[in-house]
Amino acid sequence: MTANNQNLPGTPLSEKDFEEGNILFNYDDLRGDFAWDTGVAIGSYLQGFKDGVILGARCSTCRKIVVPPRTVCEWCFHPMDEYVPLQNTGTVNTFSLCYVTWDVQRITEPEIPAVIEIDGASSLHGIMHLLSEVDPQKVHIGMRVQAVWKPVDERQGAVTDILYFKPIEEV
Amino acid sequence: MTLLERDPKAPQAWQGDLPVTSRYTFGLAGERFFRAIKDEGRILGAYCPNCDHTYVPAALFCERCLAELDEWVDVGVIGEVHTFTLLYEGYDGSPLEAPELVAFIRIGDGGLLHRLGEVRPEDVEIGMQVEAVFKPQDQRQGSILDILYFCPLSGS
Repeated sequence: MTANNQNLPGTPLSEKDFEEGNILFNYDDLRGDFAWDTGVAIGSYLQGFKDGVILGARCSTCRKIVVPPRTVCEWCFHPMDEYVPLQNTGTVNTFSLCYVTWDVQRITEPEIPAVIEIDGASSLHGIMHLLSEVDPQKVHIGMRVQAVWKPVDERQGAVTDILYFKPIEEV
Repeated sequence: MTLLERDPKAPQAWQGDLPVTSRYTFGLAGERFFRAIKDEGRILGAYCPNCDHTYVPAALFCERCLAELDEWVDVGVIGEVHTFTLLYEGYDGSPLEAPELVAFIRIGDGGLLHRLGEVRPEDVEIGMQVEAVFKPQDQRQGSILDILYFCPLSGS
């Protein structure tokens, strides 16, 4: 929090005010249940993860293979022709060393989200995921990586069935 | 038209739940209003001398002339049924075990939305005088539910 907030109008409250009963408040715990239809292509993509496959889709008109798969080509608007199982490997397109979690907690070991171009898809086509088993200082654009999967019986048909990508040992 | 088909094993829907929690504080006037209910079993309003209007629940500013209000008044615990309804469903649409009487009770120039108790639905009338029934003081939490319900004035 900024130190300036003492100078702003209003009545500042601290966690202590809530804990010690200095302030009345109403606590609510809403049910944020939701479901979205995965659709034809993404449904198949998610099921692919369960089977240990990263699925793409090919447009024969544009000779492009995209990932995740889509039902319609976004360049020529033709229906896609077929699903294509892609490789387990890819190339780091871009990455970030992230010292805060999604809910803004500071962490000392960075999370490394990255866009990974998946082998088998057209150039510059990839997915966002995490890198791990790597020295953060050594991550670089163009680094070759491979997917690390959850054990088969723990997969749920989610992108998190891939735990992370790790560098391919250069021999 | 699409040539691609959905993997027959694919799940129909992605399901999730968001942890949505909130703390609502009542503001300066609301804090004092609910403290009075909690600690003293009193309902407070705020009077605007300029507009000759008594806000219930108490407000910090007059909605009509925008003046800051500092005349707090004890408006008593008795009001008048302005309108009422009989509810058969809970807020999430599920059927209630027993229908519930909910009324807007005029107090001062405002009023409170609350339950009616100790009365049969067929005996409720618009204009009827009702009185707040509070929880025992040690069970009050500084909430509108510290009032259990409003019940008809005995003898009315």
